[in-house]
Amino acid sequence: MQLIQNLIDGLGVGSTYALLAIGVSMLFGVMHLVNFAHGELLTIAAYTMYFLRDRNVSWIIVIPVAIVAAIALSVAVEFVAFRRVRNASAFTLLLTSFAVEILSHSIWRIWQGSKQKTFQAPEIAFTTFTVGGLTIEWWDVISIGVAIVAFSITGWVLQKTLFGISLRAAAEDFDAARLMGVKANRVISSAFAFAGLLAGVAATLFLLRRGSADPRMGADPLLKAVIAAIIGGLGSLKGAVIGGLALGVVEVFTRSLLPSGIEGLTDAFVFVIIAALFVIRPQGLFNVQSAERV
Amino acid sequence: MLVVDHLTTKYGALTALRDVSLQINQGELVALVGPNGAGKTTLLSSIVGLLKPASGSVTFNGTNTTGNDPASLVAQGLALVPERRRIFKDLTVKENLMLASVTQPKNLRVNRLNEMAALFPILRSKWDVSAGYLSGGQAQQLAVARALMSDPKVLLLDEQCLGLAPTMVDVIFDLLVALKSQGRTVLVIEQQAQRVLGIADRGYVLRTGSIVAEGTGAELLADGQLFASYVGGHQ
Amino acid sequence: MSRVSDPTRRNEAAASFIGNCLLLGGIVAATLIYASGGGSSRSALLTSMLTNLVLVIGFHIFIGNTGVLSFGHLGLASISSYVMALLSIPLARKAVILTAKAPFGVRAVHLDARIASVVGIAVATLVSVLLGLVVARTSGLAATMITLALLFVVLQVADNWKDLTNGTGGLSSVPRLEGNAWPLAGAVAAVAAAVWFRTSKSGRLALATREDELAASAMGIDVFRPRLVAFVVSGAVVALGGVLQTQSIGSLGPRQFAFEPTILIMAMLVVGGMRTVTGAVIGTAFITFGKEIMRFLGDGPQFLGVRWPKVEGLPDLFLAAALLLVLLTRPGGLMNEFDVGALVRRLLERFRLGQPTSTAVVSDGHRLAPTDASLVADDVGITFGGFTAVDGVSFNVASGTIHGLIGPNGAGKTTVVNLLTGIYEPTRGRVTLGTSEVTGSPHVRARQGIARTFQNLRVFGSLPVRENIAVADLVATEYRPQRSGGPGVDELLALSGLSDLADRPASTLDYGNQRRLEIARAAALRPDFLLLDEPTSGMSETESLAMVDHVRKIASAIGAGVLVIDHDLGFITNICDRITVLDQGRVIAEGTPAEIQRDQRVIDAYLGSSAATSVDVPSDDQSSL
Repeated sequence: MQLIQNLIDGLGVGSTYALLAIGVSMLFGVMHLVNFAHGELLTIAAYTMYFLRDRNVSWIIVIPVAIVAAIALSVAVEFVAFRRVRNASAFTLLLTSFAVEILSHSIWRIWQGSKQKTFQAPEIAFTTFTVGGLTIEWWDVISIGVAIVAFSITGWVLQKTLFGISLRAAAEDFDAARLMGVKANRVISSAFAFAGLLAGVAATLFLLRRGSADPRMGADPLLKAVIAAIIGGLGSLKGAVIGGLALGVVEVFTRSLLPSGIEGLTDAFVFVIIAALFVIRPQGLFNVQSAERV
Repeated sequence: MLVVDHLTTKYGALTALRDVSLQINQGELVALVGPNGAGKTTLLSSIVGLLKPASGSVTFNGTNTTGNDPASLVAQGLALVPERRRIFKDLTVKENLMLASVTQPKNLRVNRLNEMAALFPILRSKWDVSAGYLSGGQAQQLAVARALMSDPKVLLLDEQCLGLAPTMVDVIFDLLVALKSQGRTVLVIEQQAQRVLGIADRGYVLRTGSIVAEGTGAELLADGQLFASYVGGHQ
Repeated sequence: MSRVSDPTRRNEAAASFIGNCLLLGGIVAATLIYASGGGSSRSALLTSMLTNLVLVIGFHIFIGNTGVLSFGHLGLASISSYVMALLSIPLARKAVILTAKAPFGVRAVHLDARIASVVGIAVATLVSVLLGLVVARTSGLAATMITLALLFVVLQVADNWKDLTNGTGGLSSVPRLEGNAWPLAGAVAAVAAAVWFRTSKSGRLALATREDELAASAMGIDVFRPRLVAFVVSGAVVALGGVLQTQSIGSLGPRQFAFEPTILIMAMLVVGGMRTVTGAVIGTAFITFGKEIMRFLGDGPQFLGVRWPKVEGLPDLFLAAALLLVLLTRPGGLMNEFDVGALVRRLLERFRLGQPTSTAVVSDGHRLAPTDASLVADDVGITFGGFTAVDGVSFNVASGTIHGLIGPNGAGKTTVVNLLTGIYEPTRGRVTLGTSEVTGSPHVRARQGIARTFQNLRVFGSLPVRENIAVADLVATEYRPQRSGGPGVDELLALSGLSDLADRPASTLDYGNQRRLEIARAAALRPDFLLLDEPTSGMSETESLAMVDHVRKIASAIGAGVLVIDHDLGFITNICDRITVLDQGRVIAEGTPAEIQRDQRVIDAYLGSSAATSVDVPSDDQSSL
C-alpha cells in the first residue's frame, strides 16, 4: 500500500523534474550548454501568476499567459546571452548560464523584494480521493496525466514534424544539419522556445500547489532537473524523462525510509547516491552513444 | 556557375588553402584530386560556408556567397555530400531525407521523396530503419539522395568511395555518370584519381593547399604532376 | 610531494609572490584609507575582503590549474569552521547552545582558538583528500556534480544534525579575531600556497592536463595525481579561509558557506580571471569595491544635491551583471593569463643588465646513445563494432632507424599509432618494445619509452614554449632515469630553432614552429621511439623538406628510433630507412624507399587505377581520432 502511494507521489514529483530535464537535455544536445538559467523560467511563470491572480484574472487565462512568459524569457535569454558565446567552451557556457541565473535572482529581488509573494492556489491542488484504502491526491494524478500528455506531444513533435527532425539532427551533428539547409539560429531559438514551453507546463504543475513566488525559487527544481538530465545522459531526451521520474521516486522513497528526525537529509542522501553513480558511470545511466535518442 | 577566386583559408596558424581559383560551368562534371591533406575538403567547406575564408571570394550563380551560412546556400541550390557521409544515424532513412527537404516548398517535399524512392530502391526498402543500421554502401546512397532532396543546381561530392566494397564503388561511379547525364553540375573529390579523371570533363590537382595543375581528364592523366603529387619525387 | 627545484622556477615563484604581495599591499592601503573615512561597516570591509581573498585563491588553485569546475569547495570551509567553532566556543556558552545529547563529548572540550583552527583545517583537509580521490578520477561535468554534492551534503547535515550544530540556530560566541593581522597573514599565506603550487611539480603537471588531457597522458602524465594534489592544497586553503572568516564574524550557521557565498566567490574568481593569483586578487578587490559602491548607492544617499531612492539588492545586481558582462566579452576574466610576477621579472631583468642567455649547442657529450630495443608490432588489429579498421598489421622498427608507415586516406595509419600508444587496446596481436610487451594506458606506455606527436597539433597552448618542453623533461627525469643525459630543455629549444620564442605562449607560434615544438616536447621525454603522426601535414614543399633534416637531427640527438606516419610518399621516401605501406587496414608492401616507389601495388593503392581488395564498411566509422 505504502509502496504504491510512494510510487504515485514520486511520479508526481518526478514528472515536474522530467519536464524541466527534457529542456536541459535538449539544449545540451544542440549546443552543449548545461543551462543553469533554465529554472528561472519557473520564476517568471510564478510572478506572472502572482501579478495576474492578484488582479483576480481567471486561471484559464493565467496559465497560458504564464507559459507564454516562460517561452518568451527562454528565447530572449538565448538571444541576449547564449548566442554570443555559442562556440565557447562548455565551461564558459555553463558559467554564463550561472551568471544569467543570479542576474535573474537579483532583478526579481530589486523589483519585488526577497519576500515570498503568495497567491491562492485553486482548490483542486489539495483535494484527495480514496481508492482501495489509498489516499491519493488529485494533483498527483493530474500532474502525471499532464506529464504523459506533454511527453506524448513532445514525442510526436520530435518524431513527426520537420521541426522535430531538424532538432534531433542538429543535436546529433550540427554542421551536417546546416548542410541540409537547417538554419542554425532558427533551430536553436526553436529549441529554447520548446524548452520554455515544457518549463512553462512544469511551472504550472509545480506552482498551482506551491502558490507562491520568490526570487530564488527556480534554483532548487533546476538543480534536480540538471541531475535528472545527467542521470539520463545529457542529450538523450528519453533518458531525461526516465532520469526525472527516477529521481522523483528515489526522493520520495528515501524520505519515507529515513528514520524520523533526519528526513531533512533526503537531498543529501540522494546526492550521495548520485555522486556515487557518477564515479561508476561518468557518462550517466544510459550511455548516450548507444542509447537511441527519442 | 560556381567560381572560386583567389581563396585562402586558415585554421589558426595553419594555412590550409593558398590562393586557390577554380571555375565550374553549367552541366560540367569536374574532378578535384590530390593527395590526402592537400586541402580538398577544406576547399569544399570554404565554398559552402562551413569555414570562413581568410581572403578571396566564392561566386555562385552570379552572386557573391563568400562566407554565407550553409543553410542559405542550400536554399540557393548548392548542396554538399560531406566526407564520411555524416548521415544522421539516429534518424530513420525517411527522416534523413525529409530533413533535407527543409528548404523546399511544402507541396514539393513528397514529390522529392518519391523521386528518391524511385532512384534508390534499396533505400525505399529501408524507409523506417535507423540510418545507423545501413551498410556502408546504403549509407553512401542515402548521403547522395539526401543532397538531391534540395534539387541542387550544383552538387559537391567529397570522397564518396571511402571504405566501400568494389561493387559499391562501381555503383557510385555509375551514379556520377547518371548525374552528369541528367545535366547536373557536379564537383567531385575522389581518391581514385585515374578512374574519376576518366569520366570527368575537367579536373584540378590540389597539392599542399595550392592548385598545381588543371585541364581535361586526359591531359591531367598524361601530366607528370599528377603522378608526382601522389607518389612523390620533389622536382 | 614536490618542491621548487631549479633556479628558473625559484625566480618565477619569488617574482610572483613579491608582485602579488605588493599588489595586495596596495589594495589593503587603499581600503584602509577608505575605511578611515567612517563607519564600522567600512572597517569590516577590509576583513571581509581579505578572508574572501583566501577563499578565492583556494578556488583558483584547483579550478585555475586543473580546468575542472568546482562549485563545492565552500563545503570544506563549512567543515573547518564547524570543527573550529565546536572546539573553541567557551564551555559555559556551549552548555547553553547545545543539548546534553551533543555527540563526541564536544560540550566538554575546550581548546585555544588557534589550536582549534589548526584542528578544523586538518579535518577539512582530510575530507578533501577523501573527496579528491573521487574527483580526481573523473573529469568535466561529473567532477563538478560531485563537488556540488559535497556542498549539499554539508549544508543538509549542518541544518539537520541539531545535536551537534544547533541546526539553523547556528553557533555563536566563536572567539573573535581582533584587527586584520590574522586575515592579512592568511591572505599572504594563501598567495604563497598558490604560487608554490603553480611552480611545483604537481602544479606544472596539472597545468599540462588542463591544457590538453590527451596530450598530457601521451607525455607520460597521469592525470590523477596532480589533480588530487591540486584538490587537497586548494581544500586546505579554503578551509583556512573559512576559519578566518568565521572567526572574524564570531558566529556560524549552515548557510554561511552555502550557495550565496559560492556565487560571490565564483564571481570574484571569474571576473578577475581564474588562471592566475593576480586574477584572484584583482577580482576580489573589484567585486568587493563594486559591491560597496552599490551598497552606498542603494542606501539612499544624499548625493549630487538629490536624495536618491533606497534600492534593495543593488550589490547583488552588480555582482551578476559584472559576471555576465565579463563572460560575454572577456571569458578569461579581466586578467586572463596575466600574472603580476611576469612584470616584476621583466623589471628585475632590465636592471640586471644583459644577463647572458645560454646559447646551447649539442655537444657529443649531450647525445644519447641509441637503445638497442626495437619496436615490434605483431599481427596487431582492432575491430570497432564489426568494422575492422586494422586487420593484422606487423612491422619491426629497428633501433635508431627511421621507419615510415604510409597509405592512402582511410588505410588505418592513425589507428595503428593509437594502438601503439594505448589510446585503443588492440583486439588482436601484441606490441613489444625490446623484450617487454607494451600495454596499458597512454601515460604508462609513454613512460615505457614511446612518445608521440599528433596529426592535429596538440601543444599546451597557453603555456610558454619552454614550459611545454620542460614538463616532458620533468616526466623523463622521474620515470626514465635509464635514459638520463642527452640534450636538455635549452638544447632542444635551440635544435628546434625556438630559443628566441621560448617565453611566448605556444599557441601564438606559427604552424611550422608548433610542429617543431611538438616534436621537441616528445623528444624531451627521451623516448626509445618517436611516433610522428603526419608531421608535414599542412606544410609547403620547402617546409616538408626542411622537416626531413629536422627529424633526423632530433632523432639522432636523443638516440631514438622513429616511426613516421604520412600520406606524402615524397617526404617519406626522403626520410625513411624502411617503409611499410598500409591499405584497407593491411600491409600491402614493405621495403626500402626505392623498392616501395617501384612497387605496382603501392602505386595502384595511391592512384586508384584498379579497384584492389576492399571491404564494405558500415556507416559508423570510428577510425579517426
